[in-house]
Formats: sequence, C-alpha cells, structure tokens
Amino acid sequence: MSDLNLNEDQQDCLQEIINVAMGQASDQLARYLNTFVYLKVPSIEQVSTISLLNMLNSNENSAAVVSQGFFGYEGIRGEALLMYKPKDSDRLADLLGYEPDELSVEEQIIDLSSILTTTFLNVFAKQIDNQMSYSAPRLLAGSQSAISDHLAQQSFNWDLALKVKITYQVTDYSFNCDMVLFIPESAIINIKTVIDRILEEF
Amino acid sequence: MSFSVLVCDDSNMARKQVLRSLPEHLSANAQLATNGQEAVELLRSQAFDILFLDLTMPVLDGLGVLQTLKDENITPAIFVISADIQPEMQSKVLELGAKAFLRKPVELEVLNTNLRNHGFL
Repeated sequence: MSDLNLNEDQQDCLQEIINVAMGQASDQLARYLNTFVYLKVPSIEQVSTISLLNMLNSNENSAAVVSQGFFGYEGIRGEALLMYKPKDSDRLADLLGYEPDELSVEEQIIDLSSILTTTFLNVFAKQIDNQMSYSAPRLLAGSQSAISDHLAQQSFNWDLALKVKITYQVTDYSFNCDMVLFIPESAIINIKTVIDRILEEF
Repeated sequence: MSFSVLVCDDSNMARKQVLRSLPEHLSANAQLATNGQEAVELLRSQAFDILFLDLTMPVLDGLGVLQTLKDENITPAIFVISADIQPEMQSKVLELGAKAFLRKPVELEVLNTNLRNHGFL
C-alpha cells in the first residue's frame, strides 16, 4: 500500500489538478442553478475501501447517493459517488425548485450529480492527457447496504478510494456533498505515473 | 526594463507554472507568497509592479487581498489566475481593480498577451 501513498509534491500536483477540475464543475453548477457558488479549497484524502465502507456503515444518515462509472485510457477507471446528507438533499430540492410536471427531485439530483461528476472528471482527465467515457448515473437507495452491494457488483476490486470533500455554498443555501472516487490500485499507480511526468516538466 | 514580480498561490506547482511561463526578465527576481496574508505583508513592505494572484486560498483568499490592496491604496498591476472561472467571479475581481482574469492552468500565450497588453513586454 505504501506504493500508493503520495509524497508532498505529488499531493500538491494532484490538489492543483483537482482544484482546476472543481472550479469548472462549480462553474457548471452555477450555470445550472443560475446562481453564484462560493468555492472552498477541496480536501482530498486517500482512504482504504474497507475503512470507507465502515464509515458508510456507521453513518446512517446519508440520504442520496448517485453513482457513475468512468473509463479512461491507460487503465484509469473507477466509480464516482456523490453523497448528499439528508438535510442537504432537502436544501438541494428547494434550490432546484421542484415543479409538478417537470423532472422529479430524484431526476434532478441525478442530473446535477452527473454534471458535477462528468465536468470534474473531464477536466481532470484532460490535465493528465486522458479522456473519459461514462456509464449512466444511478441513484442508489440511501441505505449503506445498498451502497456496499453496488460496489461489490463492480467488475474490479476497490483497493483504495480517493475522497474529495466538496463544499458548495450557494448564495442563500449551503450544502455539502462528498465526491468519492473509487479507483482500483492499478489506476492509482497510473495516475501517479502521470503526476510524476507532469512534475518532471518543472 | 525590469519589473518586480510577486506570485501568490497556495500551490507550489501553480507558482512554478506561472514562473516558467514568464519571460526571464520577469521571473528571475520574482518573489513568492503561499497565501493572501503573506502577499499582503510583502506588498506593504515593498513595492511590486506586478502581482499574480490566485483566488481560492487559505488564511486570506484572493478577493480579500484585492479588497485590502484597494483599501490601502497599494497598486501593483494585478493579474488574477484562478480555477474559479464563474463569470460573476471574473467581474468581481475586475471591479476590485485586477487588470485581467486568467483561467487555470495558465497558458504561456495567454499570459504573455496580457503582459504585452499592459506594457510589461
């Protein structure tokens, strides 16, 4: 597992790549909601899949989870989960302004999550000279067993997960969501290789 | 002609990205700040011709720096270089006195065009 740890320069490089990706994802969010989004520095941590699943299991109040798979070149692939807390998903519903006859709140949350996930990952991929394709986003039942089951059904094992904590503050509302990227070990090694290539240029 | 340059960004890589995009007469003696507060303190103690400023930073963010410099009438030419590309943010920084808004990752061409437009090249 120590092979997967990032040194200070690698962490800084990854952080900057993620900042740029976040910035563009937030710009899309702002356009979608027709508002202004205050950005904070996103926190990034690597967590083992086991500890993440334990965290999910102990935390009973994750309300909405949207999952979407991504596939790039050089074995860079994974599953992105956007996790909203109940309080925040209610706020989100308010913010999205559900109207009868329009999309349901669930559909809107899926749309919004997919915008965030795909914009984030497209910009992320571009910076590491990659390109992503995506599976359709799915709203999972909020229960932890549903999330565990969903992850267990994936075609590859999760060795580590990259957790990016994103806080969006929208003018009158504030909501948090965690974007968790589940990435297999081989993909993390590939990402590290690309980061080292970028760092060598400096 | 030589100009004094300050680069303010919390990311080491982003600071290097700016430095390596600058012509040598600007990068050679450039000073660095890792957050807005450091930048403000440097700007209070010595005059700079050019400030390259990130927005999303700990301690004091870029908007805070712009407001402080405006309040204290400290007037380097400020080029904001940020990942926060929302149109409203771009107009905000221009209202607060920045010369230009450049999106991250900064491109050499764009940076040089902006420097040329403001007489630094």
